[in-house]
Amino acid sequence: MSILDRRAIMVDPGVLKNSGHYDAIIVGSGVAGAIIANELAQAGKRVLIVEAATETDRSFKGYSSYLQHFYGQADKDNQSPFPVNRNADMPRSGQLRKLDPLEINSTSYIVQSGPYVTDTVYTRAFGGTTIHWEAKTPRMLPQDFQMQTLFGQGKDWPIRYHDLEVDYELAEREIGVSANVEDQQYLDITFRSSYVYPMHGLPLSYLDQRVAAQIDGSEVELYGERYPLRVRPFPQGRNAIPNQKYDGGKGYQPVGAVASHQIDVGGRCQGNTNCVPICPVQAKYHAGKTLAKAFDTGRVDLLSQAVASRVVIDSASGRVTGIETKLYHDPASPDHHTIMITGTLYVLAGNAIETPRLMLASGLRSSSGLMGCNLMDHAYLLNWALMPQICGTMRGTTCTGGIVELRGGAFRRHQATFSVDIHNDGWGWATGSPASDVVELVDAGNKFGADLRQAIIDRVSRQLLLAFMIEVLPSESNRVSVNPSYTDLLGNMRPVVSFTVPDYTLRGAAYARQFAKTVFARLGAEDHTKYDPSDYGFVTYEGEPFAIRGGNHLAGTHVMGTDKATSVVDTNQRCWDHDNLYLVGAGSMPTIGTANVTLTLAAMAFRSARNMIMQLGRLHAPVQT
Amino acid sequence: MSVSRRLETFVAFSAEVTAFTPTEVWGTGLTQRYLDTVDGVVGTAMTDALLNAFDRITTQSAGERTAKLRQTVFGCEQLGPVARAVVKLWYIGTWYALPAAWQERFGPAAQDGTFVPTPDAYVEGLLWSAIGAHPPGAKAQGFGSWQFPPGIPKF
Repeated sequence: MSILDRRAIMVDPGVLKNSGHYDAIIVGSGVAGAIIANELAQAGKRVLIVEAATETDRSFKGYSSYLQHFYGQADKDNQSPFPVNRNADMPRSGQLRKLDPLEINSTSYIVQSGPYVTDTVYTRAFGGTTIHWEAKTPRMLPQDFQMQTLFGQGKDWPIRYHDLEVDYELAEREIGVSANVEDQQYLDITFRSSYVYPMHGLPLSYLDQRVAAQIDGSEVELYGERYPLRVRPFPQGRNAIPNQKYDGGKGYQPVGAVASHQIDVGGRCQGNTNCVPICPVQAKYHAGKTLAKAFDTGRVDLLSQAVASRVVIDSASGRVTGIETKLYHDPASPDHHTIMITGTLYVLAGNAIETPRLMLASGLRSSSGLMGCNLMDHAYLLNWALMPQICGTMRGTTCTGGIVELRGGAFRRHQATFSVDIHNDGWGWATGSPASDVVELVDAGNKFGADLRQAIIDRVSRQLLLAFMIEVLPSESNRVSVNPSYTDLLGNMRPVVSFTVPDYTLRGAAYARQFAKTVFARLGAEDHTKYDPSDYGFVTYEGEPFAIRGGNHLAGTHVMGTDKATSVVDTNQRCWDHDNLYLVGAGSMPTIGTANVTLTLAAMAFRSARNMIMQLGRLHAPVQT
Repeated sequence: MSVSRRLETFVAFSAEVTAFTPTEVWGTGLTQRYLDTVDGVVGTAMTDALLNAFDRITTQSAGERTAKLRQTVFGCEQLGPVARAVVKLWYIGTWYALPAAWQERFGPAAQDGTFVPTPDAYVEGLLWSAIGAHPPGAKAQGFGSWQFPPGIPKF
């Protein structure tokens, strides 16, 4: 699929002025912006995408340069493939440190206002954070949409699971999800009759199977109810074997690498064990695949190296009249000039930090006062152990299976749910394994030669890491704000994050630790978990120590609801205050349950795109191109 | 020591301390690059000292070589940290900065620091083949291979 020769205007405001009128200006080329761009373009609308980053990976060569950069970094953190661009900076976990009480750390891109320091990240690159995401794509549970009604906790959504069900199917098609319906029908998740996923599920890893052999069929008891345990495969947004029954027997054609010339890779996952931070062959979905289709229509333009800086409003009508945008010529220099970009509809598709940041920097707090509030992100608690036998850790996709039976249940009246990932990449997230193991065995263990080689096998190939993805409920004081004291090199205000891990979540974390110990006991695994008080994510709950990691599942900051007094956007993600402005993405989600947010926000993007097409139809006839 | 003899000795030393064969070491394509890396950090004189210390014990039995390596190389205040850095370089593909105490006593080694000499160094790390896996992001083992037990090579 060729995208290099598609119309994509570069940083040239002269070209922009002559390019005619756009039906929609979309800020951000991540999955939400890409889906909306493509849906609008397929409906004959003209779209301009404004992207802060460079467009390095629009070519296969550009994408591959990320991979080479990743290989060459000594510190392979989850942003390591992406070179520093101070004009469109992004959070990097290596820059963090623990805060003293009331201390604010403004040395990292996200100003950490505490008390909890989040190492959550997102990627400001062409294709957004899908260039980096792991691509786990579970649906939310029906009960997740009614937290207040069913459990007296959090918020209810203004829509229900069945309102999103068809859009979930569209999102699963767009992303190209591999899973088997029979594995995903648990708790109250339902599928329309005869539905199959586009591709068959990926097989469980050998490590998953060793865990399953000991825990499948066992139970845990929580608040008087029993929950059966089983290792289940996760649905994944990466290419596997197409299901011939898909789409009424039409099947599914996987989308591999997008490039300027024929590249036959990425049609199927190879098991590179590197979903995060970058799939080397593009078997994993990234928004560039959707953008390639959008550019193919000839109706979508791209303005890269363009940082949206202010949303300009007509004070009388509340309507957006333009987006002030700073164009920089060189990522290494803050030199830029400023233009005004105009269209009929405006769509902010940053993410749940960047979108409210831009709105707040524009002085737009929402009449609800909730812009930037209710920041949510899954809280991760890591537990790690050595299995009694060699399990072949470090092979597969990052994660193929886990324990999801406690994603829902009556206990949600009292404590957070969690979903448990069995990591195929060992202890890396917790300890820096396996490089840290080698360093320790050589430097402290005084091993070399055959002793060392055997010790590495014993240490690495038995590693099991259980990552508990714990629910976080909305709280108005957990928020993104801005402060003119903290700006980036272009003079744009940076996000300031204030966050406290809620007690409801910490009760879930405390149980998660107990649960991990139970599982390790059933496996005969040697528990090596320890939480360091100097860790930036260190918290205590009822005297017990935990180190909480961010989940990169940012949500809640422009919450969807039924009226303008208590929410920022309506059920189509349109701002109550500005009728030609949509804020799309996980920021609209009232709660996140234990679903990685991308599939749900992609489903909501389809819903919003339909509404935009209807709104544009009411406003004017489609522009002919 | 001639240039070619120097490289051969470096390969023999590398094979000895990693428990990979000289053929496997050559097969990484990184032998000269790594020797240059060591030379670049600690200087040719100290590299020569390391290689000569190993050269003196090559004719001994395996058990004796290990004991001698502990005494004269890994246990040497000057050469030990360098030898350990070479082992880590081969296994991980990263040169890890020498300890501060070493720098104070035997430095300055101006080029020292923690770095990856070339992107290939990561891809060719011996760690991955030792555990029957592959470097994350390269040399993938194929769709579905992960569901089977690992093929951990005997050595």
